[in-house]
Amino acid sequence: MSRYIIRRLLQAIPLLLIVSIILFALTMNLGDPLATMGGRRATRPADRERLTRQLGLDQPMYKQYLYWLIGNDWERIDLDGDGEAETQGTRQGVLRGDFGNSMMKRGQTAWEVIWERVPNTLLLMIPAEIIIITFALLIGIYSALRQYSAADHVITALSFIGYSTPIFFFALISIYLFSVNFKRWGLPSLPAVGMFDPQVGKTTGQVALHMILPVLTISFVSIAAYSRYIRSTMLEVMNQDYIRTARAKGLHGRYVIFVHALRNASLPIVTLIGLDLALLLGGALVTERIFAWPGMGRLFLDHMQRMDVPVIMGILMLLSLSVIVFQIITDLTYAVLDPRIRYE
Amino acid sequence: MSAVDSISPPVTLSPSADELAPPLTFRQMAWRRFRRHRMAMFGSITLILLFIYAFGGGMIYTAERANFTDTSQRLSPPSPEHPFGTDTVGRDVLARTIQGGRVSLMIGLTAAILEIIIGVLIGAAAGFFGGVTDSLLMRFTEAMLIIPALFLLIVMARLVGGNVYFIILILGLTSWMYVARIVRAEFLSLKENEFVLAARSIGTPTREIIFRHILPNSMAPIVVAATLAVATAILAEAYISFLGMGVQPPTATWGNMLDGSYNYIESAPWLWIFPGLLILLTVLSINFVGDGLRDALDPRSRNI
Amino acid sequence: MRNLKWSVMLIGLLILSLVLAACTSTGGETTTSPEATTAVEGVAPVEEPGGEEPAEDMAEGERKIATFIWTQEFDSLSPFYTNMWFSQVTRQLWNVWAWDYDENLNIIPVLVTEMPTEENGGISADGRTLTFKLRDDIVWSDGTPITSEDFVFTFEMALDPANTVNSTYPYDQYESIDAPDPQTVVLTSAEPFAPWEATLWHSLLPAHVLRPVFEADGTLDNAEWNLAPTVGAGPYRFEEWESGSYARFVKNENWWGPEPNIDEIFFRFVPDDASQVAALQNGEGDLGTFISWSDFPTLESAGLDMRTVSSGFREGWFFFLGDEQIPGHPALQDVRVRQAIAQAFDREALIQDVLLGLTKPVETLWDDTPFVSPDIVPWQYNPEAANALLDEAGWVDSNGDGVRDKDGVELVLVHGSTTREIRQDTQAVAQQQLAEIGIGLELQSLDSTVFFASYGENGPTYTGEIDIQQWSDVTSFPDPDISYWLCSEIPTDEYPDGTNNFRICDEELDELFRLQATQTIPEERIATFHQISKLMHDQVYWFGVWDDPDGWAIGPRLQNVRLSGVTPFFAITEWDISE
Repeated sequence: MSRYIIRRLLQAIPLLLIVSIILFALTMNLGDPLATMGGRRATRPADRERLTRQLGLDQPMYKQYLYWLIGNDWERIDLDGDGEAETQGTRQGVLRGDFGNSMMKRGQTAWEVIWERVPNTLLLMIPAEIIIITFALLIGIYSALRQYSAADHVITALSFIGYSTPIFFFALISIYLFSVNFKRWGLPSLPAVGMFDPQVGKTTGQVALHMILPVLTISFVSIAAYSRYIRSTMLEVMNQDYIRTARAKGLHGRYVIFVHALRNASLPIVTLIGLDLALLLGGALVTERIFAWPGMGRLFLDHMQRMDVPVIMGILMLLSLSVIVFQIITDLTYAVLDPRIRYE
Repeated sequence: MSAVDSISPPVTLSPSADELAPPLTFRQMAWRRFRRHRMAMFGSITLILLFIYAFGGGMIYTAERANFTDTSQRLSPPSPEHPFGTDTVGRDVLARTIQGGRVSLMIGLTAAILEIIIGVLIGAAAGFFGGVTDSLLMRFTEAMLIIPALFLLIVMARLVGGNVYFIILILGLTSWMYVARIVRAEFLSLKENEFVLAARSIGTPTREIIFRHILPNSMAPIVVAATLAVATAILAEAYISFLGMGVQPPTATWGNMLDGSYNYIESAPWLWIFPGLLILLTVLSINFVGDGLRDALDPRSRNI
Repeated sequence: MRNLKWSVMLIGLLILSLVLAACTSTGGETTTSPEATTAVEGVAPVEEPGGEEPAEDMAEGERKIATFIWTQEFDSLSPFYTNMWFSQVTRQLWNVWAWDYDENLNIIPVLVTEMPTEENGGISADGRTLTFKLRDDIVWSDGTPITSEDFVFTFEMALDPANTVNSTYPYDQYESIDAPDPQTVVLTSAEPFAPWEATLWHSLLPAHVLRPVFEADGTLDNAEWNLAPTVGAGPYRFEEWESGSYARFVKNENWWGPEPNIDEIFFRFVPDDASQVAALQNGEGDLGTFISWSDFPTLESAGLDMRTVSSGFREGWFFFLGDEQIPGHPALQDVRVRQAIAQAFDREALIQDVLLGLTKPVETLWDDTPFVSPDIVPWQYNPEAANALLDEAGWVDSNGDGVRDKDGVELVLVHGSTTREIRQDTQAVAQQQLAEIGIGLELQSLDSTVFFASYGENGPTYTGEIDIQQWSDVTSFPDPDISYWLCSEIPTDEYPDGTNNFRICDEELDELFRLQATQTIPEERIATFHQISKLMHDQVYWFGVWDDPDGWAIGPRLQNVRLSGVTPFFAITEWDISE
């Protein structure tokens, strides 16, 4: 088993390398990060020329990638433009954990900038995941058990609507309903902006309150999609012969469901959860923008505007890494759940 | 041999064999199953209506009308003159949803077709040839799958600007992976079948084997995937337009109508409710149709 | 899946209810005014189910806290690592300039005893040497005196190649700096540098804090001080900055000027204009910035004091004339065509409709300053005159397609701008109005990073693909200097950073521009600019569409608010909060 894990991890490395090359090529061509450094006016030409040199943006693309990957502290660079490389480089490169300095937030490394915001995103996504898994399971199983009943039809209809709705439309509706209209109707309204009300402070209560609408938005679409999947999986399993045998033997319905059916349905469910968890960090992009939640998604959008390549690459690589890691974990969970699967 | 054998009817279960209807072809059976699927029929009808709304209505509410600004009428609520109200510059929202529908639907369809073509080519190559080709292509597919879709889309959208054709291109380029996987799975299983062996043994060229023999037999999941691909393409276009990186105004798409309307969530809800509902209806109908197709074409895939 | 009538009905009901909601909604203004009136009572009425009355800021022993709503979060607080307006204007709070500008653009010395002039010997006879006399009672927020050493350090850090500062201007114009004693700073330049007054000493770096950092790291790029400047000089000092949410500045005990009335300034970061307006309407903020025209009436009815403060920005059309390397449209080479365009666009009507009459048309980039020529006659909306000029210039509609042409070339121009809503609205109107005099306008609406891409990136404003380029720009306000129309600034492959995208080389204009940059005597410079502004106006090298002042929203709690276009918070110590 451990050989398998090591092998997967080794396989992941060239994959990540390919991913980083693709992403680097894309992000380097996004535009000129210097264009926005002038503030309200265009950047002065003399400054632009100097900054291009100082930030290493005048190097050819492959060299910039190289510096990004392994740093430039093994080489001298020309900082003052006289054509002679005289200053020792200071970057260590991604392979040693240095994602570079943020070009937008001078004074912080890209890693620090990202890591400041990661907890906020996790704050949204982890409760959302728990809610999604719980409710999708409950609704899916209930729907499967009560197949063809009125409740099943209603749930099916809602599910279809749910996963056909773009997230932002659902967010707008929920803001319109719970924030705006509740206020109009005199009901206590839910806040729709930010993580806490600055005048009250960053208390647990405040954050929890502000979390409600974003988490609801993220969960709704996913619950709709996954409950259907779980429903169909459960139905497939429940029609198997061994279930019929168990029932024929006189075992109680609920026992049958939870012990036999769920166990066998767990594999597809784990796939689902595994894939979903992988998208944990990146999943809240649109929601964060609408609700002004200071998370990683908003960070990505803000720094995209300013073409802050180190931070953008950092975020993208972090997300890709988490996808790979979760894929491996999912595969391992398969092996635990299904003794027939054996990895060498 | 007597003449009787050569004209014997295929089904002889009852004496009055000549009164039996001829056996149904696969297509006819599929169509029947589809027809019985109520949601799919509802979806198909809605889609047809939406197409008429967008393309037929587009002949009355032309692009000029959709882009005609009358700043004295800005942000007026729905009225007989402007059934869906006007936007921030005084453009008629109804006209814009119609024209926007044209653009959004066109983008969705074209992007889906592009996606299918790329996905089929790559999946077929990987599944059929196997070995190194399969390995390389699948590594590449995996790499593309690892990058979270929306982020990739945003980066590429930023790169290409707001040109409609480029938007279609990047939508196609970022979502072919799912189709490729499905096609590869089909090819992997089908290429061991006897009819392929037979074709190979009589010397059929590879291209013919792939496109004339295997592909038609794997159409079922591809068709379903294609239908759902249209839905995801329309949604993806809506997402990037909402983030301001898709097609730029004054050309209307349902997505960018929602981008402009975000500021007026309370004061002018007609700005976002109508385009949003239309996106919802379209995607919903496509999902219904996709569900029905899956039922109709491959009833074994789901026994519910 | 068989009996689905219910599901279909349910879906239909949901859709119907949403549609009804859209159709019957009339907007939310009337129902938000009850909130507005309670806001006037002074306590921000934040709605929460827990029923918490948010009077916390008053409960803490009556500390006066003002909340400013910022729609962009600072990227850095260091004067050299950011040019964001939202960061720069905070410096009147915690890291003052050597001198401020009041609302009438008069200078108020802050760190210096008086402004250098020729009479007091501050400016040498040849205009190349500036001598500044510093006050002797000025101290940093930790008590350390501010001396000429800090000025010298700031100068050196700006120019050191190890610091990737955003801009070395204007310090790169000077050859040397000298500090003969702790209260005197002497700057010498090779040529007289006229714009010094508006550009020098916009915030200092504390030498006693940052010199050790520079010596240890070799650079100031990663200094903690850039993001947490605990030592500064101003009525307030930096207290805290929570990324993505807020920043706080509290009263500085070591401030030598008048004590501020407000104890704490709280900056709240919101993602966009819509949230800012919502926050202001709900009384969650006392100050808002860059309010868009369409939100003025909404906020006014919510009880806020709406002000427009000119910061020198004017929205206008830049004409791309081109030259031999990159030719422009033949029609635009003729000044009569440009004058026709100037008279075919009804700016007054546009401003009334789209900008709600809240601003006015401008003629030059120097309007409302002493630098604009008094002889300029504003362009009137006169389609007949425009038609006449076009006919005279030889552009007539020979093939009856509604668009004028000449020598086989159609008078179709490309008008480009960014995707800002107001610009797209303007473009749409321009297209219609120019069509009425037979000029076809193709519109391009590009994302701002694409639009403002540089020469090296084949940015559309440089390649000649956009004939009329619209954006809002400013001189080195309050200094009138601008380099866009210098012949030497035309970008080439050898000099890709040139700012003259329009490739306009007018000998007379070029000479005047080069002259004014060296004239340190105000009267001479004003005379030169009178000539410049008149020439630019008559030649229509730049067509002013509207004056683009900044829109400020002042909440009812704030009193004594005076704003300047250059240093908005120059009088922050006078501001007060009343309930």
